[in-house]
Amino acid sequence: MKHLNEEELIDHYYGESESPAAVTEHLRECGDCARNYAVLERDLAEIKPSPVPARDAAYGEQVWQSIRGSLPVYQAPKRSRWGWLALPPWGFAAAATACLLVAAAFFAGRQWEHRNTPIATNPGNGEQGKQRVVLVVLGDHLDRSERLLVELKHADPSTEVPLQAEARDLLSANRLYRESVKSSQDPTMANALDHLERVLTEVANEPAGLSAARLDELQKEMNTDGLLFEVRVLRSRVQEDVDQNSGTSKATKGVSI
Amino acid sequence: MEGNDHAIIRAVLAGDKDAYGLLVARHSQNVFRVAFRITGDEADADEVVQDAFLRGYQRLEGFESRSEFGTWIYRIAVNCALNMVNKRKVEATYQIGEESDPERRQVQLADTAADPERSLLSREIEALQKTAMRDLTATEKTAFILRHMEGHTTTEIAAALQIAPNAAKQVVFRAVQKLRRNLAPLRVIP
Repeated sequence: MKHLNEEELIDHYYGESESPAAVTEHLRECGDCARNYAVLERDLAEIKPSPVPARDAAYGEQVWQSIRGSLPVYQAPKRSRWGWLALPPWGFAAAATACLLVAAAFFAGRQWEHRNTPIATNPGNGEQGKQRVVLVVLGDHLDRSERLLVELKHADPSTEVPLQAEARDLLSANRLYRESVKSSQDPTMANALDHLERVLTEVANEPAGLSAARLDELQKEMNTDGLLFEVRVLRSRVQEDVDQNSGTSKATKGVSI
Repeated sequence: MEGNDHAIIRAVLAGDKDAYGLLVARHSQNVFRVAFRITGDEADADEVVQDAFLRGYQRLEGFESRSEFGTWIYRIAVNCALNMVNKRKVEATYQIGEESDPERRQVQLADTAADPERSLLSREIEALQKTAMRDLTATEKTAFILRHMEGHTTTEIAAALQIAPNAAKQVVFRAVQKLRRNLAPLRVIP
């Protein structure tokens, strides 16, 4: 019988178990797990929130008065989004005529441009360029992350402050990349960025600096060495993509010249 | 209630600054509660409440009408409180270093209660819990408070701390592990 680990027991305690019925059933059958769970319940029940000091009904007003003076007034928009509904009937006719004229001018302009353009531009260039920029930026992020992880591996107390500042800086960028990678169907990259974010969060928010013991704990608990390897592999993969992308771009340029 | 909040926000954005006072009055108690639980200090919690509503006002144009103002300002307050804890921890690093040594934990209290032994014990437990909470990182402490005391789900904690749900789950797990380890002396062996 496979016993429930501490993480599964904690999940169950907070009602976030993936299959609560199965866990309940297991706890009924397995004495060891039931005992561990009872100890966990008792431990967590001991941790009670300390009473919150009361704030009277006027508290909100006090807070408001303390910040009111430093708040600017928002400027009301000149005309609402639906303001055009208030136009008189002749106004609609005028607006429709103006729209027609603009559309006709646009269409004529397009036709003229089409006839007078001797060399066709490559429509893929814009997209390729954008993709290349994304890859270069992501590569740079992975490069910086790799350096931070290497520093973390060999850190001593004197490197605490720059490490934390760098981690904070990388953290916000990492969130953005993780979000965009999540939508681009790349689970390896997404998982690595997720792992990286957890490490960065810990390093950035370590209040008392990174002591030797804490560094050791981080390396063990969060497997920073494994992450370093992952980041290295991904960085070289991204670099290959960048090179490939530049190569394609150059070839395309060659063809059009 | 939240529908009214949206109407108030529209009024504020249309130039009625004082309408924001209604939102402050409506949500300040809730914001104070979470701020106090995270900072553990009344004066700091008051400061966090002011800071949160100030930032909320400054970012009001970015508020999405799909969300609820109460949840939104709560998240801002959690971040302000987290920053405050980080700031205070850095300031008091040397004190934490002394108190986190389990061998040196001592509680000396005046005997003022009707049942001094019981009172002393409960205060000792409370003191040990406070020390155990101080051993957590600011993120761990905040995640644990949101989970254990405020009853939020992993998804909500992740949103409040702006981290991935998986990371939020791990942070809560680590916090529980550390707390259990530090509170082990309280465990009564049957």
